[in-house]
Order: sequence, then C-alpha cells, then structure tokens
Amino acid sequence: MSTIESPPVTATSELLSLYAQMRRTRALNDEAIALQRQGALTGFPPCTGQEAAQVGSAAALDPAVDFAFPTYRELGAMLTLGITPLALMAPHRGLSFGGAFDAREAHVAPINAVVGGTALHAVGWAMGAKLDGEEACALTYFGDGASSQGEVHEAMNFAAIFELPVVFLCQSNGWAISTPTERQVGGGSVAARAAGYGLPGEQVDGNDVLAVRDATARAVHRARCGGGATVIEAFTYRLGPHSTSDDPSRYRDRAEEEAWESRDPIDRAREQLRGSLDDAEDHFARIEHEITLELDAVRAGLGLLQAPTMREQMELAYARMPAATRAANAAWLQDGIDG
Amino acid sequence: MAEWTMQEALNAALADCLADDDRTLILGEDVGRNGGVFRVTAGLQERFGEQRVFDTPLAEAGILGTAVGLCMHGFRPIAEMQFDGFTFPAFNQLAAHVSKLRTRSGGALNLPLTLRVPSYGAIRSPEHHSESIETFCAHLPSIKVVSPSTPSEAYALLRAAVADPDPVVFLEPKSRYWSREERVAGDDLVGAGARQSGADADAERGDGYASRIVRSGSDVTLIAWGACVQRCVQAAAFAAEDGVEVEVLDLRWLKPLDVDGLVASVARTRRAVVVHEAPVTLGLGAEVAALLGERLFGTLAAPVGRVGAPDMPYPVAALEDEYLPSPDRILLAIQRTFDAVAA
Amino acid sequence: MASHTFTLPDLGEGLVEATVLEWLVAVGDGVERNAPLVEVETTKASTELPSPAGGTVLELHAAEGETVAVGAPLFTLEIAAESGIVGTVPAEAPPTRRVRLRPPAAR
Ligand SMILES: Cc1ncc(C[n+]2csc(CCOP(=O)(O)OP(=O)(O)O)c2C)c(N)n1
Ligand SMILES: [Mg+2]
Repeated sequence: MSTIESPPVTATSELLSLYAQMRRTRALNDEAIALQRQGALTGFPPCTGQEAAQVGSAAALDPAVDFAFPTYRELGAMLTLGITPLALMAPHRGLSFGGAFDAREAHVAPINAVVGGTALHAVGWAMGAKLDGEEACALTYFGDGASSQGEVHEAMNFAAIFELPVVFLCQSNGWAISTPTERQVGGGSVAARAAGYGLPGEQVDGNDVLAVRDATARAVHRARCGGGATVIEAFTYRLGPHSTSDDPSRYRDRAEEEAWESRDPIDRAREQLRGSLDDAEDHFARIEHEITLELDAVRAGLGLLQAPTMREQMELAYARMPAATRAANAAWLQDGIDG
Repeated sequence: MAEWTMQEALNAALADCLADDDRTLILGEDVGRNGGVFRVTAGLQERFGEQRVFDTPLAEAGILGTAVGLCMHGFRPIAEMQFDGFTFPAFNQLAAHVSKLRTRSGGALNLPLTLRVPSYGAIRSPEHHSESIETFCAHLPSIKVVSPSTPSEAYALLRAAVADPDPVVFLEPKSRYWSREERVAGDDLVGAGARQSGADADAERGDGYASRIVRSGSDVTLIAWGACVQRCVQAAAFAAEDGVEVEVLDLRWLKPLDVDGLVASVARTRRAVVVHEAPVTLGLGAEVAALLGERLFGTLAAPVGRVGAPDMPYPVAALEDEYLPSPDRILLAIQRTFDAVAA
Repeated sequence: MASHTFTLPDLGEGLVEATVLEWLVAVGDGVERNAPLVEVETTKASTELPSPAGGTVLELHAAEGETVAVGAPLFTLEIAAESGIVGTVPAEAPPTRRVRLRPPAAR
C-alpha cells in the first residue's frame, strides 16, 4: 500500500504557481523564436498554446522519485521539472543534443526527437522501479502523431501485461507538422485505445491547467500504488509553427488558429486568478518582473555557452572506450591539426 | 527554366514520373499539402490529386510496409522518409521484407518501389537529421542505392530509380537541395535515366548503373557520391594550385557499384581516396578499397585512402564543420598516397 | 553607441537565401529589441524578423523584392548598448585550405 495521499489540489496558491510557470514558459518560448529569427539559435520547436498540458502534467510528478520522458517540444514540462532555461536552449544553439543537464540526477530523460521513441523506455524504467519495489512512476510525453508509431502501441501493451507504473501523456495538439489529428488517429481518440489494453484512458481539456494537473495526479497516484498504467489524452493546440522552419499557412486556416488563440490556456488561468485573488495584478506584475530578469540572464548566458570540443564529444561514445577506437580517434584529431 | 535547384529538379522528376505512369504514387509524412519539409513534393498533390500523392500517419514502418503491399498490387510507390534518421523505424520492413520478398516469392513479386531519403549533414540540424545510411541499405541484398550530386543528376537518377524494377533507396543530399545549376539537356532528360546524365562514353560501358567522371586528372582519383562530390571538386581545385591533377569520380550508384568505372579510373591514376561523411569503420569506403585492392593490386602506387568520420555519433551542430570531410583532410589523404612506400 | 550590421541568418535547415517582402521600419526609425523589422520569404516559409537589439535603423541593405544570401548584410543598427546580442550567424565562409601538396618527384 502506498503512503502517498491522493492529491486533489485546486487551491488558488497552486494555480498561481502553475500560472507563473506557464507565463515563464511562454516568455522563454517567444524569446527562443526571436533568437532563432536573429540567427542566435539554429532552430526551435515552439510549445505556444500547450503550456497548461505541459506544466499541469509535470507539476503532478515528483522528480525526486518519478521519471519523465520528454519529446522535443516539452519546454514547459522540463522547466517545471527543474531544468534550467540555458540547459534547454543549448541544443537549439547546436551545443548539445539532449539538453545540458544530468538526466540521472534530474530524473528527466534527454530531449528526444525520434517520434514515439521513448514510450518503451518509460516502460523499461517503470519495470525497473517495480522490480526494485519503488513507489514511483514513469511519465512519457508523446503527440497525436507519435500515437501512430508501432512502438507506442507496444509500450502500452507491455505496460498492461506487466502492470507497470507508467503514465502515457498524449498532447493531442491538432497537428503533426501538416497532418491534422483526424488524419492521424484512427478512431479519433488515443485515450479510447487504452480500453483495448485493459488500461484506464482519460480525456482531459489540455488547456485547463488544473484539470490536467488533477488527471495526471490521479494517474501518478494509481501508478505509484501498484494500479498500473494510464493513458491520458490532453486536448490542446499547437498555436505556433511545428518548428521555426515550418509555415503553417501552407496547410491550415488562420480561422482555426484564431479560435484556439481565444482559448489560450494562460489567459484562462489569468482570468480564474483575477476572479479569486484581490491582489492578482500585483502577483502578475511580480511574475512578469521575475521573467524579465530571467530572460536577461538567459540572453547573457547564451552568448557564454561553450561548444564542446570534438575530443569531449568523442569521449561520450563509450563508457569503456576500446583502445583501438581511442587510437583511431587520436589519429583523426591529429589530421585535423595537421590539416 | 535555365537554372534549377536540386529541390526543383527532384520536384520536376516526380511530376514527370506521376504524369508518365498513373501507377506511380507518392506517400509519406507531410508530402501532400505541405509538399514535404524540403518542398520536394510541392504542388504534386494539387496537380495529381489526393489518391496519388498522400500523407500517411506518422509511422515509417507503416509507410514502407504499405509501399511493399502496393507493389504486390501492381503499383509503383515512391515513399518518402522525412529525414535519414527516421528511416530506422522502417528498417525491419527494409531488411526483412523489401530485401527478401522477391526471393521469397520465387521471383513472382517484383518491388519497383523508391524510398526517398533526405540524407547526410551540414545543415546545422538537431540529432537524427544528419545521418549517412548508405551502408546499412547497400548491405542488404536485392536493394539498389543511389545518391545524386547535382540538380540535373538528381533529375535523371530519380527517373531511373523510379523506372527500375527493383527497390531503390534514393539518398538526397539535403545540403545541396538549394544548390543551383544550369539545367542540363532540358526536357531531353525525361526517361533517360542514369545513362544520359553523365559522361556518355563511360555510361555506354555498362547496364546504366554507371559512375561519372566529374573532373579528369592523372595523379589521383577522388571517389565520392552525394554531398561529398562537391567537397572533392573543391579539394581538386586546391590540389591544382599545387600542380596536382585530381580526377573526381562520382559513384552515383552505391549498389550496384560501377566496378569497371572505378577500375578504369584508378588504373590510370594508380592512386585513390574515398571520401564520405559516414564513419570510416565499415563505411562504403571499405568496400571500394577492397575492390580496388583485388582488381589493381599490382597497379596501385599506394593503399586506397579513406576520409570519413570517427567512431562516434554525428556530433552537435557546432562541431559539424570539423567532423565533415574538409578540403584539408582530403588533401592530407592525397598526400599520403604520394608518400606511401611499400614495406 | 556603436553601429552593427546584421546579416541574414539561415532561417531553416540549410536554406541559402531569402527574399525581402516588406520592410516594417525605415532608416532613422527607433526600434525596440524584438520589434518586427522586416518580413522575408524563403522556400519554406514567410517570416518576420525581430530586431536583435534596441537602437536606430541606420541602413537597409536590400530593397523589397530583392533576394539576399544567407550571411549577407541585411540591416545596420545604431545600438545603445552591446548587451543582449548573443551573436548572429557567421557569414558562410568560402572554403579554405592549409595543407600544401608535395607531389612525388617522378611521375
Ligand atoms: C520517427 C520520426 N519520424 C519522423 C519525424 C519527423 N517529425 C518530427 S516531429 C513530427 C510530427 C510529430 O507530431 P506529434 O507527435 O503530434 O507531436 P507535435 O509535433 O505535434 O508536438 C515529425 C513527423 C521524427 N522526428 N521522428
Ligand atoms: Mg501533434
């Protein structure tokens, strides 16, 4: 039996901190887009519009015990899990692949660009946690597009067969690059597939940060208590381009974007807070001020981030570098000096 | 169009394939309305309809496996992998089925499919977007592999790949998509395949899977394909400043290898260096070096040189210039063929 | 105060050029950091480029409709403080060499 209490938290103070995290995400996200257009980042996949789905779900995890598996679009989730902005910008400056942080320590897997690639890793991590008798769960993020990958089906089936503590968190954001969700998800719902594996599946308004937080907290609780895996389908919308080299006007209507802009998850939380806090504006001002300071630091820090050397990058390839490889590497590096 | 980019040439080739043969289909991720992330299929769905040019769900095994089934029903599918690094989910289909189905069926089933893959690095991409997969593919029986180096070559070779009765992996050098070039031979290229797109005399020799001599020289042969051909041409220009005449041979087809073309060139120059972006270890350079060693043991003045990557994953963008074959690395390898002395 | 010329960055995955659609500022205008400066179009997308720094527009290096190569000058700003510039894409350098060949004497 678990000692962990099921936590249905909806207090205003919690909403305020989720709001602050969403605003922070949006601000860094927008800055990253600008930095790409200014040539300072090589590319960036914005998470505009998905802040509630990301921040709400990540807030339900305890990175001291749980482990999260992000995709490339999880800026908000990763910030919420304690990864620093600069660590997350390093890949987009061509200095790192998975982010400049220690995945083992952070309990957050490196940023991963292979769509659907980490669902099975979450399953394996959860299997390990179960074997070790831990009360912990793995949460894997994936998109509506990723739900088409065979590996994602395999992962759900494994999680069901082995009764593993996994949360499958699908951000159904309307699009996989230019392919709309309805041309992607046969049957129309990823959560509905859970039933086929004998798993609970839940649909949630992905733009309602508290709803996402509560749904994820329930699933995390169930997982930690030995209740097995859950599939959550958070409906949201990718308000921005797929990445900074994508142009959504080629494939979708401005009207659709506008409809979702009016359902901006951050505006929604702000209105809720205005309704329940007398000094909401003061809080907002404080949050914006802190964000401004953080962005200044990010810009300054970005210019100071160092590229790894080729030798350092080579060392990453093996835990025990074979002598033959080391010799070949040395010769290759020497050619670079001679050449 | 007096000039065209490789992206335009590939787009034109696909359009001509679709126009010439209504059994030809294009399928892949974002190839329809979006025209592919590199715009290679731009406008084709509009022109040929959603039956013939269509987006699939995001599943590479699904794309390639479906293409196999389409072949079994008499279609000629052209499937796109969005990036080289995302071919791997389809690899089971490639190795277990595409490579074996003809034999499994006792020759009853042909697989005239083309697998287009934006390939190689040099565009400051994130992880998985800069891979060289040619050796993985060429190692598989029953699969042909080709990689163009210029816009007109791309046009002709893609037409040849699609026309081929066997499965062809078509590796597009993504760093060359926007390279411009005078359009060769205008519309005559249509249907000509590999034979028309290069040195005619050489092409006469074989069955159409011919390499081409990009630049003639007598001192050493540089052997490359795809994006590395341009690197070799640059190195050859530098070498010329030192009075060294470099021959540059564009393999085009990595399977089948144009053994006769390779041997003819290196028999003249007696020295060869293979240049590729992929790791040297078991890269295609190893096969070329072995072949030349077998055929030209007594003729070679030096061991065949190899310029390629170390045994490490393709590095972060900040290191990619250092990682890729530079003119200096190619020149060093050439110098080694000059300095070699038999033990 | 310093004048700083900004070049056209690669806006997406190996692109080599972009076409200026519309300048959203004129010479002499003051701009804030991240304010839209110019709309450009590439083979992949049309995009607004935000100002990399706050300052005054000194020069626009391309006319509307003109195609600019990645790495070529796009605009020059007079900048109040250098802070906040985290770097622009270096112009695509022409290939260079250091190795000199010593061909064998007898050929
Ligand atoms: C295996 C694989 N195939 C293709 C791609 C190219 N690609 C990157 S993101 C993407 C769309 C993903 O859509 P979705 O899963 O809905 O996530 P979203 O981008 O909407 O967050 C594609 C096709 C990839 N990264 N990995
Ligand atoms: Mg999606």
